[in-house]
Amino acid sequence: MIAFIAKRLAAGVVLLVAVSVGTFFLAHTAITDPTVGLLGTTATEAQREALTIKLGLDRPLIVQFWDWFSHAAIGDFGTSWRNFQSVNDQIAIKLPVTLSVVSFATLLTAFFGITLGMIAGLNPNSMLDRMSKGITVVLFALPGFWVSLVLVIWFAVNLRWFPAVGYVQPTQSITGWLRSITLPAVSLSLMGIVVVAEQLRNEVIAVNKQDFVRTLRSRGLSQGQVIIHILRNACPAALTMLAIMFVSLLSGAIVVEAIFSLPGIGQLINSSSQIGDIPVLLGITVVSVIFVVIVNFLLDIALGWINPKVRVK
Amino acid sequence: MSKTITTVAAISAVAMALTVSAPALAQDGPGELKIGNFLDVTSWDPALADIGFDGPYLSAVYDPLIALEPDGSLTPVLATSWEYSDDRTSITMDLRQGVTFHDGAVFDAEAAVANLEHLKAGARSNEAYVNVWEFKVVDEDTIQIDLTQRDDTILYLMGLGRSYMASPDKLDTLTEAPAGSGPYLLDTDRSVPGSEYHFNKVADHWDSETYPFEDIAIYPILDATARHNAMLSGQINVNFADAENIPQAEQMGWNISSRVSGWVGLQFVDHTGQFVEALADVRVRQALNYAFNGGAILNAIGAGAGVVTNQVFPVGTPGYDASLNDMYAYNLDKARELLAEAGYADGFAVTMPMSPIFAQWQPAVVQVFNELGIEVTWDDMQMMDYQINAPKYPLFISFIAMDNDPAATLARQLTSEQWYNLNPEYGEFPELADLVASAKEATGEDQVAAITEVNRQLTEMAWWSVWYQAENTYFSTPEIEVQPVTGMMFPLLRHIQPK
Repeated sequence: MIAFIAKRLAAGVVLLVAVSVGTFFLAHTAITDPTVGLLGTTATEAQREALTIKLGLDRPLIVQFWDWFSHAAIGDFGTSWRNFQSVNDQIAIKLPVTLSVVSFATLLTAFFGITLGMIAGLNPNSMLDRMSKGITVVLFALPGFWVSLVLVIWFAVNLRWFPAVGYVQPTQSITGWLRSITLPAVSLSLMGIVVVAEQLRNEVIAVNKQDFVRTLRSRGLSQGQVIIHILRNACPAALTMLAIMFVSLLSGAIVVEAIFSLPGIGQLINSSSQIGDIPVLLGITVVSVIFVVIVNFLLDIALGWINPKVRVK
Repeated sequence: MSKTITTVAAISAVAMALTVSAPALAQDGPGELKIGNFLDVTSWDPALADIGFDGPYLSAVYDPLIALEPDGSLTPVLATSWEYSDDRTSITMDLRQGVTFHDGAVFDAEAAVANLEHLKAGARSNEAYVNVWEFKVVDEDTIQIDLTQRDDTILYLMGLGRSYMASPDKLDTLTEAPAGSGPYLLDTDRSVPGSEYHFNKVADHWDSETYPFEDIAIYPILDATARHNAMLSGQINVNFADAENIPQAEQMGWNISSRVSGWVGLQFVDHTGQFVEALADVRVRQALNYAFNGGAILNAIGAGAGVVTNQVFPVGTPGYDASLNDMYAYNLDKARELLAEAGYADGFAVTMPMSPIFAQWQPAVVQVFNELGIEVTWDDMQMMDYQINAPKYPLFISFIAMDNDPAATLARQLTSEQWYNLNPEYGEFPELADLVASAKEATGEDQVAAITEVNRQLTEMAWWSVWYQAENTYFSTPEIEVQPVTGMMFPLLRHIQPK
């Protein structure tokens, strides 16, 4: 198990370094002169030149890269070119917002996806299955942004149960925080619920047909005990989907944060990319990759724990 | 079964908890002004801040020397009066006494000069002070601004948002936190950078009556639909609005205020034909004025929020001449005729820049140019690169902000170097240059008349192909009134008042 974990960790580090290097050079290639975005069009050549020197952009790109990389390797992502505040601090402020929404969305996805998938899978072609399939098809067909807008109009504008925009920190008000992330999380989770439910339904149907299930039933186990066995065998696929959903929800949060005006990572990406604030963009990229690595790592551990054959592979 | 019931009960309890506390979302009292702005504050340092959407943020925490009013006049704020020297190369300003910054520092002539020098050195604010030779302290409450040459735009630009005064001790740290003498203090505990900014009223502010709202919140919300929903749900009561929502705003009984903010059309860079010979022929440029149906473009793309005109002087302001608007009424046949007269019956080839922001107008250009046989090649680029490179092309699609001051319009649209006008070419045309020189020498009403004449000449020369002037629109709840100001994307707090 330790070797298994070590291999996964090493793969994660390689991925992190590769993405960091690629992003650094891509960003510097795409944004030709960041001083235009940072200083505006009224700045003089002398002012642009002074900022270029201040930011170290007059140095060879490889020197800039090593400067950034050597600091990033010890967790220091430098300072924003826009306001000269710590990138770490800015990410630390914004990340909890995005994580709140994405985590809540993942929880909703897990709960409703697994529930719908189990109901449909245990009762194939029944009324429940058809209803579940109908719901998932409808959810799948609806564009996410449209659903978001409908939710806002119903629950924020008409009923005023939830705020239309904005974020409340949990330290200010727990119920306020829950209200502020509910609609964004529901919007984000709908597609995930469909995918997880469909995946789990098919797995449950497949597992349910296996000999060991028939054996369990013949031994007189209760339906609940049999379901636990089925779920344990069917859940790797659902777990994988949930992990993928978590990662994709992180990127999907950019759109939802815009619709609900949430001060999360998506908003920071948006504002930083508009003015070419490369240190912030790099910091966000690295942190995002770290999350992807961690989620995949935990998934591998979980799958390995559930199914020892995975560890052997 | 019992577990199911427990689960359902738990979910119901959470739902109840959420809905029971819902009234907390109800609108606050009329004492609070809640603004939905389009962009976040670019910087708390007035030297680095953009005028565009920063007005409400900066005018909350800073007092300016001079403020611009919606009608284009200048209001004394920290400068109580000002006077030009006879040769108009020096301005003497009297300053308000008894004003202190929030940190306790005193506002006086020394502080004003320190601020003005800071603004002159600023990457964004320097545009106001390009012709300043020196700022001088005359006495404790008087300063003098010596100019290298006559400059009729400096006071206008100062009023537009380039004369905010900050505590002289904090000039080097303004990017971290504002330090002004304004009517409100930024409440950092309640504010979330990038999301919401809360301001508390300063009880003993010298101009408290101009700022009647007890509390102010400004929410930068990039998405127009999100801002509109925030307004519908009562989270904001003033909104930088999308004109598409005007019918619903009318149904809601909201106040709707609009004012032209920028012109949309083609910026001709190459009037001398250095790169594309055809553009040197006035008939070709006139053809490109006749060929675009500004009204149709305004309705299709701008939701009708604007005024069809062929001028860059804001509609209804000094310098604008309504009688010129029919000079190039849409007429594609006339355009073809003019091109043929100029020897370009089969069109010509041109390369133009394109950025996503301008892509909405690209189909109109493609269609019209196809009709005229003009072969256009597009170079795609991001907006930042567009601002650097567009004026290096012979012509480009533009949305250029306008000014509610004829001298400023003349300077910023024609005679001074701007990102969209890197090489002002008017000097290459003697008749135009003479008219400009006359306008620059005149003062008062004579100057307005002279600038109007320049405008006529520019229109006849088809200096631009202006399709329309776009409006900025603001919604406010019935108890609040917004007075938009041409030149500012969002007006100052002094322009938002209880009705």
